[in-house]
Amino acid sequence: MLEVRDLSVGYEGGDVVHDVTLRVDDGEAVMVIGSNGAGKTTLFRAIVGLLRATTGTVRFDDRDITAVPTQEVVRLGLGFVPAERHLFPRMTVHENLALGAYPSRPDPETLAMVMDLFPRLAERRRQLAGTMSGGEQQMLAIGRALMAKPRLLVLDEPTTGLAPKLAAEAYEALAVLRRRGLTVLVAEQQVPLAMALCDRGYVLEGGVVTKEGSSADLADDPEVRRAYLGIA
Amino acid sequence: MTASILDGIVLGLQFGLLATGLTLMYGLGGILNLAYGQMAVISAIVTVSVMDAGLPVVPAALVGMATGAVLGWILDQTVFRPLYSLRGEARVLLSLLLSLGVALMIDGFLNWLFPLKGLSLFIGGGAIDIFGEPMRRGSLLASAITIVAMAALVAFFRFTTLGRAVRSVIEDEEGARLVGIDPRKMLRLILVLSGAIAALVALTRSMVAPVDVTAGFGITVFALIVTVVGGLGSITGALAAGIILGIINAIAASAIGTFMSLIILLVAAAITILVRPAGLLGVKE
Repeated sequence: MLEVRDLSVGYEGGDVVHDVTLRVDDGEAVMVIGSNGAGKTTLFRAIVGLLRATTGTVRFDDRDITAVPTQEVVRLGLGFVPAERHLFPRMTVHENLALGAYPSRPDPETLAMVMDLFPRLAERRRQLAGTMSGGEQQMLAIGRALMAKPRLLVLDEPTTGLAPKLAAEAYEALAVLRRRGLTVLVAEQQVPLAMALCDRGYVLEGGVVTKEGSSADLADDPEVRRAYLGIA
Repeated sequence: MTASILDGIVLGLQFGLLATGLTLMYGLGGILNLAYGQMAVISAIVTVSVMDAGLPVVPAALVGMATGAVLGWILDQTVFRPLYSLRGEARVLLSLLLSLGVALMIDGFLNWLFPLKGLSLFIGGGAIDIFGEPMRRGSLLASAITIVAMAALVAFFRFTTLGRAVRSVIEDEEGARLVGIDPRKMLRLILVLSGAIAALVALTRSMVAPVDVTAGFGITVFALIVTVVGGLGSITGALAAGIILGIINAIAASAIGTFMSLIILLVAAAITILVRPAGLLGVKE
Protein backbone atom coordinates (compact mmCIF):
# COMPACT_ATOMS: atom_id res chain seq x y z
CA MET A 1 0.00 0.00 0.00
CA LEU A 2 2.82 2.38 0.93
CA GLU A 3 6.31 2.05 -0.43
CA VAL A 4 9.11 4.43 0.49
CA ARG A 5 12.31 3.93 -1.46
CA ASP A 6 15.76 5.45 -0.80
CA LEU A 7 14.18 8.57 0.65
CA SER A 8 16.46 11.39 1.77
CA VAL A 9 14.99 14.57 3.15
CA GLY A 10 15.93 17.48 5.36
CA TYR A 11 15.92 21.20 5.78
CA GLU A 12 18.04 24.07 4.49
CA GLY A 13 21.03 22.93 6.52
CA GLY A 14 21.08 19.51 4.85
CA ASP A 15 19.42 16.12 4.97
CA VAL A 16 18.26 14.69 8.27
CA VAL A 17 16.94 11.40 6.91
CA HIS A 18 19.16 9.33 4.61
CA ASP A 19 18.15 6.64 2.10
CA VAL A 20 15.21 5.27 4.06
CA THR A 21 13.35 2.38 2.49
CA LEU A 22 10.19 1.05 4.10
CA ARG A 23 6.99 -0.67 3.15
CA VAL A 24 3.51 -1.00 4.59
CA ASP A 25 1.25 -3.71 3.18
CA ASP A 26 -2.55 -3.79 3.10
CA GLY A 27 -4.02 -4.37 6.56
CA GLU A 28 -0.68 -4.20 8.34
CA ALA A 29 0.31 -2.08 11.31
CA VAL A 30 3.90 -0.90 11.09
CA MET A 31 5.94 1.18 13.55
CA VAL A 32 8.96 3.40 13.17
CA ILE A 33 10.72 3.60 16.51
CA GLY A 34 13.64 5.76 17.49
CA SER A 35 14.73 8.32 20.00
CA ASN A 36 14.03 12.04 19.93
CA GLY A 37 15.76 13.63 16.94
CA ALA A 38 16.19 10.36 15.04
CA GLY A 39 14.29 11.87 12.08
CA LYS A 40 10.89 10.19 12.53
CA THR A 41 8.91 13.41 12.14
CA THR A 42 10.99 14.56 9.16
CA LEU A 43 10.47 11.19 7.47
CA PHE A 44 6.71 11.23 8.03
CA ARG A 45 6.36 14.83 6.88
CA ALA A 46 8.10 13.87 3.64
CA ILE A 47 5.81 10.86 3.17
CA VAL A 48 2.68 13.02 3.34
CA GLY A 49 4.15 15.81 1.22
CA LEU A 50 4.64 18.48 3.88
CA LEU A 51 8.38 18.35 3.13
CA ARG A 52 9.92 17.92 -0.30
CA ALA A 53 12.21 14.88 -0.53
CA THR A 54 15.74 15.51 -1.76
CA THR A 55 15.95 12.11 -3.42
CA GLY A 56 13.94 8.91 -3.42
CA THR A 57 10.30 8.11 -4.02
CA VAL A 58 7.09 7.58 -2.07
CA ARG A 59 4.43 5.40 -3.68
CA PHE A 60 0.89 4.99 -2.36
CA ASP A 61 -1.29 2.37 -4.04
CA ASP A 62 1.25 2.16 -6.87
CA ARG A 63 0.98 5.85 -7.52
CA ASP A 64 4.04 8.10 -7.17
CA ILE A 65 3.10 10.72 -4.55
CA THR A 66 6.62 12.05 -3.91
CA ALA A 67 5.81 15.50 -5.30
CA VAL A 68 2.06 15.52 -4.69
CA PRO A 69 0.95 18.28 -2.29
CA THR A 70 -0.39 17.17 1.11
CA GLN A 71 -3.95 18.33 0.45
CA GLU A 72 -4.12 15.96 -2.54
CA VAL A 73 -2.36 13.06 -0.80
CA VAL A 74 -5.04 13.21 1.90
CA ARG A 75 -7.79 12.90 -0.68
CA LEU A 76 -6.16 9.77 -2.08
CA GLY A 77 -6.90 8.02 1.20
CA LEU A 78 -3.81 8.64 3.28
CA GLY A 79 -4.67 10.29 6.60
CA PHE A 80 -1.98 11.96 8.70
CA VAL A 81 -2.12 12.83 12.41
CA PRO A 82 0.87 15.05 13.27
CA ALA A 83 2.39 15.12 16.75
CA GLU A 84 1.38 18.79 17.15
CA ARG A 85 -2.16 17.83 16.04
CA HIS A 86 -2.85 21.04 14.08
CA LEU A 87 -6.49 21.23 15.09
CA PHE A 88 -8.63 24.31 14.48
CA PRO A 89 -8.60 25.70 18.05
CA ARG A 90 -11.42 28.26 17.75
CA MET A 91 -13.81 25.84 16.11
CA THR A 92 -15.97 23.33 17.91
CA VAL A 93 -15.25 19.61 18.10
CA HIS A 94 -18.06 19.05 15.63
CA GLU A 95 -16.71 21.64 13.15
CA ASN A 96 -13.25 20.07 13.34
CA LEU A 97 -14.71 16.66 12.59
CA ALA A 98 -16.91 18.00 9.81
CA LEU A 99 -13.90 19.60 8.12
CA GLY A 100 -12.18 16.23 8.25
CA ALA A 101 -14.61 15.11 5.55
CA TYR A 102 -13.83 18.09 3.30
CA PRO A 103 -14.93 18.68 0.55
CA SER A 104 -17.89 16.39 1.24
CA ARG A 105 -20.44 16.85 3.96
CA PRO A 106 -19.64 14.63 6.95
CA ASP A 107 -20.94 11.12 6.51
CA PRO A 108 -23.29 10.36 9.45
CA GLU A 109 -22.08 6.75 9.73
CA THR A 110 -18.42 7.74 9.92
CA LEU A 111 -19.29 10.46 12.42
CA ALA A 112 -21.16 7.94 14.57
CA MET A 113 -18.19 5.53 14.33
CA VAL A 114 -15.79 8.25 15.54
CA MET A 115 -18.11 9.28 18.38
CA ASP A 116 -18.44 5.63 19.36
CA LEU A 117 -14.67 5.17 19.33
CA PHE A 118 -14.12 8.33 21.39
CA PRO A 119 -17.24 8.90 23.54
CA ARG A 120 -15.49 11.93 25.07
CA LEU A 121 -15.82 13.74 21.72
CA ALA A 122 -19.55 13.10 21.64
CA GLU A 123 -19.92 14.68 25.10
CA ARG A 124 -17.94 17.73 23.99
CA ARG A 125 -19.12 18.25 20.46
CA ARG A 126 -19.96 21.92 21.07
CA GLN A 127 -16.76 22.72 22.94
CA LEU A 128 -13.98 24.68 21.23
CA ALA A 129 -11.09 22.39 20.30
CA GLY A 130 -8.51 24.76 21.78
CA THR A 131 -10.04 24.49 25.26
CA MET A 132 -9.74 20.70 25.50
CA SER A 133 -7.10 18.68 27.31
CA GLY A 134 -4.15 17.14 25.48
CA GLY A 135 -5.69 13.68 25.48
CA GLU A 136 -9.00 14.93 24.10
CA GLN A 137 -7.19 16.90 21.43
CA GLN A 138 -5.33 13.77 20.37
CA MET A 139 -8.62 11.88 20.10
CA LEU A 140 -10.03 14.73 18.04
CA ALA A 141 -7.00 14.76 15.75
CA ILE A 142 -7.39 11.02 15.11
CA GLY A 143 -11.14 11.43 14.71
CA ARG A 144 -10.71 14.27 12.23
CA ALA A 145 -8.36 12.17 10.13
CA LEU A 146 -10.84 9.25 10.21
CA MET A 147 -13.65 11.44 8.85
CA ALA A 148 -12.02 11.31 5.40
CA LYS A 149 -12.28 7.48 5.52
CA PRO A 150 -8.58 6.88 4.95
CA ARG A 151 -7.26 3.48 3.99
CA LEU A 152 -3.88 4.21 5.54
CA LEU A 153 -3.56 6.19 8.77
CA VAL A 154 -0.13 7.65 9.49
CA LEU A 155 0.42 8.88 13.05
CA ASP A 156 3.44 10.78 14.31
CA GLU A 157 3.94 10.08 18.01
CA PRO A 158 0.29 10.00 19.04
CA THR A 159 1.30 9.79 22.72
CA THR A 160 3.13 13.15 22.74
CA GLY A 161 2.28 15.00 25.95
CA LEU A 162 -0.18 12.35 27.15
CA ALA A 163 -0.31 10.82 30.60
CA PRO A 164 0.35 7.03 30.54
CA LYS A 165 -3.33 6.18 30.99
CA LEU A 166 -4.39 8.38 28.07
CA ALA A 167 -1.54 7.09 25.90
CA ALA A 168 -2.79 3.56 26.51
CA GLU A 169 -6.34 4.65 25.66
CA ALA A 170 -5.16 6.14 22.37
CA TYR A 171 -3.50 2.84 21.47
CA GLU A 172 -6.62 0.90 22.45
CA ALA A 173 -8.55 2.97 19.92
CA LEU A 174 -5.90 2.27 17.29
CA ALA A 175 -6.16 -1.45 18.04
CA VAL A 176 -9.92 -1.29 17.45
CA LEU A 177 -9.36 0.46 14.11
CA ARG A 178 -6.78 -2.15 13.15
CA ARG A 179 -9.19 -4.98 13.82
CA ARG A 180 -11.62 -3.26 11.47
CA GLY A 181 -9.04 -3.44 8.71
CA LEU A 182 -7.40 -0.01 8.78
CA THR A 183 -3.74 0.00 7.75
CA VAL A 184 -1.56 1.91 10.22
CA LEU A 185 1.93 3.43 10.16
CA VAL A 186 3.00 4.93 13.47
CA ALA A 187 6.13 6.65 14.76
CA GLU A 188 6.62 6.18 18.47
CA GLN A 189 9.04 6.73 21.32
CA GLN A 190 6.93 4.79 23.78
CA VAL A 191 8.00 1.55 22.16
CA PRO A 192 6.08 -1.02 24.26
CA LEU A 193 2.74 0.51 23.26
CA ALA A 194 3.65 0.49 19.57
CA MET A 195 5.01 -3.05 19.75
CA ALA A 196 1.75 -4.35 21.16
CA LEU A 197 -0.13 -2.80 18.23
CA CYS A 198 2.16 -3.44 15.29
CA ASP A 199 3.18 -6.48 13.25
CA ARG A 200 6.48 -5.11 12.09
CA GLY A 201 8.81 -2.24 12.78
CA TYR A 202 11.78 -0.20 11.69
CA VAL A 203 14.38 1.30 14.01
CA LEU A 204 15.47 4.78 12.92
CA GLU A 205 18.71 6.13 14.37
CA GLY A 206 20.46 9.27 13.17
CA GLY A 207 18.19 9.41 10.13
CA VAL A 208 19.08 5.88 8.99
CA VAL A 209 17.14 2.62 9.32
CA THR A 210 19.42 0.46 11.47
CA LYS A 211 17.11 -2.51 12.06
CA GLU A 212 13.87 -3.89 10.79
CA GLY A 213 11.82 -6.93 11.56
CA SER A 214 8.68 -8.31 13.16
CA SER A 215 7.67 -6.84 16.49
CA ALA A 216 8.53 -10.12 18.19
CA ASP A 217 12.03 -10.18 16.69
CA LEU A 218 12.64 -6.57 17.61
CA ALA A 219 11.42 -7.24 21.15
CA ASP A 220 14.04 -9.98 21.44
CA ASP A 221 16.84 -7.88 19.99
CA PRO A 222 19.33 -7.05 22.78
CA GLU A 223 20.08 -3.56 21.47
CA VAL A 224 16.41 -2.69 21.05
CA ARG A 225 15.73 -4.05 24.53
CA ARG A 226 18.47 -1.91 26.03
CA ALA A 227 17.76 1.30 24.08
CA TYR A 228 13.96 1.33 23.86
CA LEU A 229 12.51 -1.13 26.30
CA GLY A 230 14.64 -0.27 29.31
CA ILE A 231 15.64 -3.90 29.78
CA ALA A 232 19.32 -4.67 30.24
CA MET B 1 -26.67 63.79 19.02
CA THR B 2 -29.17 61.12 17.94
CA ALA B 3 -28.60 62.17 14.33
CA SER B 4 -24.84 61.80 14.72
CA ILE B 5 -25.20 58.37 16.25
CA LEU B 6 -27.52 57.25 13.46
CA ASP B 7 -25.14 58.64 10.83
CA GLY B 8 -22.33 56.92 12.67
CA ILE B 9 -24.11 53.58 12.60
CA VAL B 10 -24.71 53.92 8.86
CA LEU B 11 -21.05 54.73 8.27
CA GLY B 12 -19.90 52.15 10.81
CA LEU B 13 -21.78 49.31 9.18
CA GLN B 14 -20.04 50.17 5.93
CA PHE B 15 -16.65 50.43 7.65
CA GLY B 16 -17.22 47.04 9.21
CA LEU B 17 -18.13 45.37 5.94
CA LEU B 18 -15.22 47.09 4.22
CA ALA B 19 -12.77 45.84 6.83
CA THR B 20 -13.86 42.21 6.57
CA GLY B 21 -12.32 42.03 3.08
CA LEU B 22 -8.99 43.40 4.28
CA THR B 23 -8.92 41.32 7.45
CA LEU B 24 -9.66 38.11 5.53
CA MET B 25 -6.85 38.72 3.03
CA TYR B 26 -4.45 39.28 5.92
CA GLY B 27 -5.68 36.48 8.14
CA LEU B 28 -5.76 33.94 5.37
CA GLY B 29 -2.75 34.76 3.29
CA GLY B 30 -0.66 37.33 5.15
CA ILE B 31 -1.49 39.86 2.46
CA LEU B 32 -2.01 43.55 3.21
CA ASN B 33 -3.73 44.90 0.13
CA LEU B 34 -3.23 48.66 -0.09
CA ALA B 35 -4.98 48.76 -3.48
CA TYR B 36 -8.22 47.72 -1.76
CA GLY B 37 -9.77 51.20 -1.95
CA GLN B 38 -8.90 51.53 -5.63
CA MET B 39 -10.67 48.24 -6.33
CA ALA B 40 -13.73 49.81 -4.72
CA VAL B 41 -13.45 53.02 -6.75
CA ILE B 42 -12.97 51.27 -10.09
CA SER B 43 -16.02 49.10 -9.41
CA ALA B 44 -18.08 52.20 -8.61
CA ILE B 45 -16.90 53.91 -11.81
CA VAL B 46 -17.91 50.88 -13.85
CA THR B 47 -21.33 50.86 -12.18
CA VAL B 48 -21.94 54.53 -12.92
CA SER B 49 -20.73 54.08 -16.51
CA VAL B 50 -23.09 51.21 -17.25
CA MET B 51 -25.91 53.20 -15.62
CA ASP B 52 -25.09 56.15 -17.87
CA ALA B 53 -25.33 53.70 -20.76
CA GLY B 54 -28.89 52.95 -19.68
CA LEU B 55 -28.67 49.92 -17.40
CA PRO B 56 -31.05 50.02 -14.39
CA VAL B 57 -29.48 50.42 -10.97
CA VAL B 58 -29.70 46.85 -9.66
CA PRO B 59 -28.08 45.10 -12.66
CA ALA B 60 -25.56 47.95 -12.80
CA ALA B 61 -24.65 47.34 -9.15
CA LEU B 62 -24.23 43.63 -9.89
CA VAL B 63 -21.92 44.51 -12.79
CA GLY B 64 -19.96 46.68 -10.35
CA MET B 65 -19.59 43.85 -7.84
CA ALA B 66 -18.55 41.47 -10.58
CA THR B 67 -15.92 44.05 -11.57
CA GLY B 68 -14.56 44.07 -8.02
CA ALA B 69 -14.45 40.28 -8.00
CA VAL B 70 -12.60 40.18 -11.33
CA LEU B 71 -10.12 42.77 -10.06
CA GLY B 72 -9.41 40.54 -7.07
CA TRP B 73 -8.87 37.58 -9.38
CA ILE B 74 -6.54 39.63 -11.62
CA LEU B 75 -4.47 40.71 -8.59
CA ASP B 76 -4.18 37.07 -7.53
CA GLN B 77 -3.04 35.97 -10.98
CA THR B 78 -0.62 38.81 -11.68
CA VAL B 79 0.82 41.21 -9.13
CA PHE B 80 0.45 38.94 -6.09
CA ARG B 81 2.01 35.90 -7.78
CA PRO B 82 5.53 36.50 -6.44
CA LEU B 83 4.09 36.57 -2.91
CA TYR B 84 3.06 32.95 -2.81
CA SER B 85 6.60 31.63 -2.68
CA LEU B 86 7.31 33.78 0.39
CA ARG B 87 6.34 33.16 4.00
CA GLY B 88 5.61 35.22 7.09
CA GLU B 89 6.84 38.76 7.39
CA ALA B 90 8.50 38.81 3.97
CA ARG B 91 5.14 38.10 2.36
CA VAL B 92 3.35 40.82 4.34
CA LEU B 93 5.99 43.42 3.48
CA LEU B 94 6.17 42.58 -0.22
CA SER B 95 2.36 42.56 -0.48
CA LEU B 96 2.38 46.04 1.05
CA LEU B 97 4.86 47.34 -1.52
CA LEU B 98 3.32 45.63 -4.54
CA SER B 99 -0.22 46.71 -3.73
CA LEU B 100 0.96 50.25 -2.95
CA GLY B 101 2.46 50.37 -6.43
CA VAL B 102 -0.81 49.17 -7.92
CA ALA B 103 -2.75 51.74 -5.89
CA LEU B 104 -0.52 54.62 -7.06
CA MET B 105 -0.77 53.54 -10.67
CA ILE B 106 -4.55 53.27 -10.55
CA ASP B 107 -4.89 56.63 -8.79
CA GLY B 108 -2.72 58.34 -11.39
CA PHE B 109 -4.65 56.75 -14.19
CA LEU B 110 -8.05 57.65 -12.73
CA ASN B 111 -6.97 61.24 -12.12
CA TRP B 112 -5.96 61.57 -15.70
CA LEU B 113 -9.06 59.85 -17.07
CA PHE B 114 -11.75 61.40 -14.86
CA PRO B 115 -10.53 64.68 -13.42
CA LEU B 116 -12.77 65.88 -10.59
CA LYS B 117 -15.54 63.40 -11.17
CA GLY B 118 -17.70 62.52 -8.20
CA LEU B 119 -19.68 59.32 -8.30
CA SER B 120 -23.02 59.05 -6.68
CA LEU B 121 -26.05 56.90 -6.98
CA PHE B 122 -29.12 58.94 -6.22
CA ILE B 123 -31.88 57.10 -4.51
CA GLY B 124 -35.09 59.00 -4.99
CA GLY B 125 -37.50 60.11 -2.30
CA GLY B 126 -37.28 62.27 0.73
CA ALA B 127 -36.48 61.67 4.35
CA ILE B 128 -37.99 59.18 6.78
CA ASP B 129 -38.18 59.83 10.52
CA ILE B 130 -36.19 57.48 12.75
CA PHE B 131 -36.33 58.22 16.50
CA GLY B 132 -37.60 61.68 15.55
CA GLU B 133 -34.64 62.33 13.24
CA PRO B 134 -35.04 62.68 9.49
CA MET B 135 -32.94 60.08 7.67
CA ARG B 136 -32.33 60.05 3.94
CA ARG B 137 -33.76 57.09 2.14
CA GLY B 138 -30.39 56.45 0.55
CA SER B 139 -28.78 56.06 3.98
CA LEU B 140 -31.44 53.64 5.13
CA LEU B 141 -31.26 51.55 1.99
CA ALA B 142 -27.45 51.55 2.14
CA SER B 143 -27.58 50.35 5.74
CA ALA B 144 -30.12 47.67 4.93
CA ILE B 145 -28.00 46.37 2.05
CA THR B 146 -24.91 46.41 4.27
CA ILE B 147 -26.64 44.52 7.07
CA VAL B 148 -27.91 41.88 4.66
CA ALA B 149 -24.43 41.50 3.18
CA MET B 150 -22.91 41.15 6.66
CA ALA B 151 -25.46 38.54 7.67
CA ALA B 152 -24.78 36.65 4.45
CA LEU B 153 -21.03 36.74 5.11
CA VAL B 154 -21.38 35.56 8.69
CA ALA B 155 -23.71 32.75 7.60
CA PHE B 156 -21.31 31.76 4.84
CA PHE B 157 -18.37 31.46 7.23
CA ARG B 158 -20.34 29.75 9.96
CA PHE B 159 -22.58 27.31 8.18
CA THR B 160 -21.18 26.36 4.78
CA THR B 161 -18.45 23.82 4.16
CA LEU B 162 -16.55 26.29 1.98
CA GLY B 163 -16.84 29.04 4.59
CA ARG B 164 -15.54 26.71 7.29
CA ALA B 165 -12.70 25.70 4.99
CA VAL B 166 -11.68 29.36 4.65
CA ARG B 167 -11.73 29.78 8.44
CA SER B 168 -9.71 26.63 8.92
CA VAL B 169 -6.86 28.10 6.86
CA ILE B 170 -6.88 31.19 9.10
CA GLU B 171 -6.80 28.98 12.20
CA ASP B 172 -4.14 26.49 11.14
CA GLU B 173 -2.85 26.33 7.59
CA GLU B 174 -1.14 22.97 8.04
CA GLY B 175 -4.24 21.53 9.68
CA ALA B 176 -6.25 22.73 6.69
CA ARG B 177 -3.91 20.97 4.26
CA LEU B 178 -4.22 17.79 6.35
CA VAL B 179 -7.97 17.69 5.74
CA GLY B 180 -7.50 18.24 2.02
CA ILE B 181 -7.93 22.01 1.73
CA ASP B 182 -5.70 23.92 -0.70
CA PRO B 183 -4.79 27.22 1.03
CA ARG B 184 -3.94 28.85 -2.33
CA LYS B 185 -7.43 28.20 -3.66
CA MET B 186 -8.98 29.61 -0.49
CA LEU B 187 -6.84 32.74 -0.81
CA ARG B 188 -7.91 33.19 -4.42
CA LEU B 189 -11.53 32.85 -3.34
CA ILE B 190 -11.01 35.49 -0.66
CA LEU B 191 -9.34 37.92 -3.06
CA VAL B 192 -12.33 37.58 -5.37
CA LEU B 193 -14.79 37.90 -2.48
CA SER B 194 -13.00 40.93 -1.03
CA GLY B 195 -13.14 42.62 -4.44
CA ALA B 196 -16.90 42.16 -4.50
CA ILE B 197 -17.15 43.44 -0.90
CA ALA B 198 -15.08 46.54 -1.74
CA ALA B 199 -17.37 47.20 -4.70
CA LEU B 200 -20.51 46.83 -2.61
CA VAL B 201 -19.21 49.22 0.03
CA ALA B 202 -18.28 51.83 -2.60
CA LEU B 203 -21.78 51.53 -4.04
CA THR B 204 -23.61 51.84 -0.74
CA ARG B 205 -21.28 54.69 0.25
CA SER B 206 -22.19 56.55 -2.91
CA MET B 207 -25.84 56.29 -1.93
CA VAL B 208 -25.06 58.40 1.14
CA ALA B 209 -22.48 60.85 -0.15
CA PRO B 210 -20.55 61.35 -3.39
CA VAL B 211 -17.48 59.11 -3.79
CA ASP B 212 -14.56 60.87 -5.42
CA VAL B 213 -12.40 59.05 -8.00
CA THR B 214 -9.42 59.66 -5.73
CA ALA B 215 -11.21 58.23 -2.68
CA GLY B 216 -9.26 54.96 -2.93
CA PHE B 217 -6.58 55.73 -0.37
CA GLY B 218 -9.10 57.13 2.09
CA ILE B 219 -11.13 53.94 1.83
CA THR B 220 -8.03 51.78 2.34
CA VAL B 221 -6.94 53.81 5.38
CA PHE B 222 -10.38 53.53 7.00
CA ALA B 223 -10.48 49.81 6.32
CA LEU B 224 -6.97 49.43 7.74
CA ILE B 225 -7.83 51.28 10.95
CA VAL B 226 -10.98 49.22 11.45
CA THR B 227 -9.08 46.01 10.70
CA VAL B 228 -6.38 46.79 13.24
CA VAL B 229 -8.89 47.73 15.94
CA GLY B 230 -11.05 44.67 15.25
CA GLY B 231 -8.08 42.32 15.30
CA LEU B 232 -6.32 41.09 12.17
CA GLY B 233 -8.01 37.98 10.85
CA SER B 234 -11.22 38.37 12.84
CA ILE B 235 -14.43 38.80 10.86
CA THR B 236 -16.72 39.54 13.79
CA GLY B 237 -14.01 41.83 15.23
CA ALA B 238 -13.99 43.84 12.01
CA LEU B 239 -17.77 44.19 12.05
CA ALA B 240 -17.84 45.28 15.71
CA ALA B 241 -14.93 47.70 15.31
CA GLY B 242 -16.54 49.20 12.21
CA ILE B 243 -19.71 50.10 14.05
CA ILE B 244 -17.89 51.47 17.11
CA LEU B 245 -15.48 53.57 15.03
CA GLY B 246 -18.28 54.73 12.76
CA ILE B 247 -20.15 56.16 15.74
CA ILE B 248 -16.97 57.73 17.16
CA ASN B 249 -16.25 59.26 13.77
CA ALA B 250 -19.71 60.73 13.34
CA ILE B 251 -19.84 62.20 16.85
CA ALA B 252 -16.34 63.64 16.45
CA ALA B 253 -17.24 65.13 13.09
CA SER B 254 -20.39 66.84 14.38
CA ALA B 255 -19.03 67.91 17.78
CA ILE B 256 -15.58 69.08 16.71
CA GLY B 257 -15.35 69.03 12.95
CA THR B 258 -14.58 66.71 10.06
CA PHE B 259 -10.95 67.84 10.02
CA MET B 260 -10.48 66.25 13.44
CA SER B 261 -12.45 63.05 12.97
CA LEU B 262 -9.71 61.04 11.26
CA ILE B 263 -7.24 62.03 13.98
CA ILE B 264 -9.70 61.00 16.65
CA LEU B 265 -10.21 57.67 14.88
CA LEU B 266 -6.46 57.11 14.87
CA VAL B 267 -6.29 57.95 18.58
CA ALA B 268 -9.11 55.49 19.27
CA ALA B 269 -7.25 52.86 17.25
CA ALA B 270 -3.98 53.57 19.09
CA ILE B 271 -5.69 53.27 22.49
CA THR B 272 -7.24 49.94 21.48
CA ILE B 273 -3.85 48.58 20.45
CA LEU B 274 -2.28 49.77 23.73
CA VAL B 275 -4.99 48.09 25.80
CA ARG B 276 -5.49 45.02 23.62
CA PRO B 277 -2.53 44.44 21.29
CA ALA B 278 -4.35 41.73 19.33
CA GLY B 279 -7.34 44.03 18.68
CA LEU B 280 -10.88 43.66 20.00
CA LEU B 281 -11.32 40.07 18.90
CA GLY B 282 -7.96 39.28 17.36
CA VAL B 283 -6.12 36.00 17.62
CA LYS B 284 -3.24 36.07 20.09
CA GLU B 285 0.00 34.85 18.57
